[in-house]
Amino acid sequence: MKFGLFYEHQIPRPRDKEQWDPDAEHKMMKDALDQIELADQLGFDYIFEVEHHFLEEYSHSSAPEVFLAAASQRTKNIRLGHGITLMPPRYNHPARVAERIATLDLVSDGRVEFGTGESASEMEMGGFGVRREEKKQMWEEATREVIKMMTQTPYKGTEGEYFGMPSRNVVPKPLQKPHPPLWVASSRRETTMVAARLGMGSLGFAFETPDEAKERADEYFRLVREECYPIGEAINPALAAVTILSCFEDDEEAIAKGMEGAQFFAYSLAYYYNPFTGGSHKPGEKNIYKGFIEAPEDERWGPFGEAFRGFGGFGGGTAKEEPEDEVTRALWRAAQRGGCVGTPDFVKDTLRKYEDSHLDVMIFVAQCGARSHEDVMDSIYRTGTKVIPEFKERHEEHQNWRAEQLAGVDHQINSTI
Amino acid sequence: MSGKVDRIQDEALRGSFADAQAALKAGDYRKVVELSSAAYVELLRRKPEMLQGQQQFMNVIFFPRLGAHLVLNNDGQPEIVWDREKFSFSEAVTYFEFAVDRLIKAGL
Repeated sequence: MKFGLFYEHQIPRPRDKEQWDPDAEHKMMKDALDQIELADQLGFDYIFEVEHHFLEEYSHSSAPEVFLAAASQRTKNIRLGHGITLMPPRYNHPARVAERIATLDLVSDGRVEFGTGESASEMEMGGFGVRREEKKQMWEEATREVIKMMTQTPYKGTEGEYFGMPSRNVVPKPLQKPHPPLWVASSRRETTMVAARLGMGSLGFAFETPDEAKERADEYFRLVREECYPIGEAINPALAAVTILSCFEDDEEAIAKGMEGAQFFAYSLAYYYNPFTGGSHKPGEKNIYKGFIEAPEDERWGPFGEAFRGFGGFGGGTAKEEPEDEVTRALWRAAQRGGCVGTPDFVKDTLRKYEDSHLDVMIFVAQCGARSHEDVMDSIYRTGTKVIPEFKERHEEHQNWRAEQLAGVDHQINSTI
Repeated sequence: MSGKVDRIQDEALRGSFADAQAALKAGDYRKVVELSSAAYVELLRRKPEMLQGQQQFMNVIFFPRLGAHLVLNNDGQPEIVWDREKFSFSEAVTYFEFAVDRLIKAGL
């Protein structure tokens, strides 16, 4: 199994002020680069950087290509993942995506992982005029065309449903041939199966259990073998999952330093993705962190839980019950003490279960909420020195398992697992 | 080829999903959505408890809304409303996987 870090660039407002300190965003960006440089030195395999717009406090990562370019000059080996690029053309013109991916691949000596997705929040879709019922079709159409732009000389052009462009030679071309490994964000199980059928890696944001991960891996690789119609010229058979990380020398310290950030991650994500709260967000005014921190501890995802009660699968129960709906459940799980909040031994025990499930990549959310930079660095350092090494030693076994799964697949493969 | 579809107990519904798989392979994505949606509506008709109380929200609102969506008509019966004619590959797979998973979970 391989390991990555996941960056939203969270930056809660101060609870006692209306706005952030003038240097807060600057410091957050520089801190994140320090963290990634350390992760690279310790042997972490990937970073995945989100693209979100207007989701103040939850994510200030609206220009991931710029941040990843900076990271590329501070690191040597770590793979630079878009987690993900918003593909509907109203967010990003497909030619501009192809140009940026290729340029990043060149300046990073071929370290790009091309993650793609649709977006889901009303703040973003409303801001750019993307219709919810069309965004998946937009994603697929734009992704197909961007891949052609990276591989055709010249690009032949298209007149699609949502995007049209005459023939042009889109330059530069990426260093990796035929193109960087392809991924798609998969908040729901259905999208993981779309990924398999299109030969894409699945960036799973479901906070799935090891049992769920195993079931998905079995079906995913079956589909790759038997029902794959690649969207690109090379497939990237890969399953990644996300979890919250807080790794310290004793459990109490890991929980004390890790849980508030985990809960804010879930709370603020739920705030924006809940159509009731996210749809009525007052830009520049609402202090989400204040609302979160002043809620009773057992209700810190309460506003979300209350709003979704009877809607997202609570069935009238309490926020202590695991929701039935997959996306709601993912947020609920993110707010609980997960299997990677604890001592190095505790974290390793958890990760061995995912390893047994044949998960390819575990991506850690280390920077979240109001966690201090020093604590994030400490947690990354401890994970890199005390957790990851034993998994690296066993990774060849996983690669052998993958080779068995992919035996007989005659599509070209470009995967960094 | 059929994989997970084999776990559907009901012969007619299993056959319907086999047809949907063939349509997916043939590039007839509208047909995939039609067959998958019809199978899901059939599930709701056979298991009316899925439309009772809080379950109604789960099983109606979370049905995919990617060009076809599910509503309850004036008689409280589920029916599909078509918002457009054309569907993409990924949309078709989404409807297919959603329906297959729900049928298996319901033991049909």
